[in-house]
Amino acid sequence: MIPFVAVVGWRKPAHKGFRIWIPLIFVWLLLLPIVLLLLPFAFAACMVARMNPFQTFATLWRVLASLGGTDLEIVNGGGSFSIRLF
Amino acid sequence: MNENRKQVLEMLATGKITADEAERLIAALENDAAAGSLDGSENRPKVKPKYIRVLMEDNKADKMAKVNIRIPMQLLRAGVRLAALIPDVARAQLNTHLRENGVAVDVNAIKPENLEEIVDQLSELTVDMDAKDGKVRVFCE
Repeated sequence: MIPFVAVVGWRKPAHKGFRIWIPLIFVWLLLLPIVLLLLPFAFAACMVARMNPFQTFATLWRVLASLGGTDLEIVNGGGSFSIRLF
Repeated sequence: MNENRKQVLEMLATGKITADEAERLIAALENDAAAGSLDGSENRPKVKPKYIRVLMEDNKADKMAKVNIRIPMQLLRAGVRLAALIPDVARAQLNTHLRENGVAVDVNAIKPENLEEIVDQLSELTVDMDAKDGKVRVFCE
């Protein structure tokens, strides 16, 4: 399942931090028409590069679908940045 | 009778080992079996880890920095499949450069199954590096 929510946290040194919940489902819905428009071009690019377009799309989809659970946190001095995908 | 014990007795019967050696071997086998059943490692199914964790700490006096990354194993599996998408032209170039640098690896011979096997073996990976100013840990959980 593709990630539906991203939690992004940010804190500057000596400042109060904040955390945003981004509903990725809306991002995917917004991107969908663009992806559909670009699909023929991507298909053509695959053919030119002699790559199997179906295998390519399947692999990219698999990467996207397995992003859920990814967690990144960087702390530097008093500041920090974090991103978590659900 | 288990296979190992049978093998020891066969070695004794054929005269490859003495009775004393056979006794010692059987005792060792029994100890191993007892230890295995005590910690339950024989019956416990091996749990597949879900994530690989990378922790880096930089403890310099002026500023402390820390990086904590959790990557799903599924993402690694999907990532290694990207290798299958390398176009043939690029593969040929890659092979040439590898050969020029003394690496006798044929990229065409690497199949996604091989890469998945490597990812599977990562479950037993633990990297623990301690230095004066920081440390790095990589493990599966």
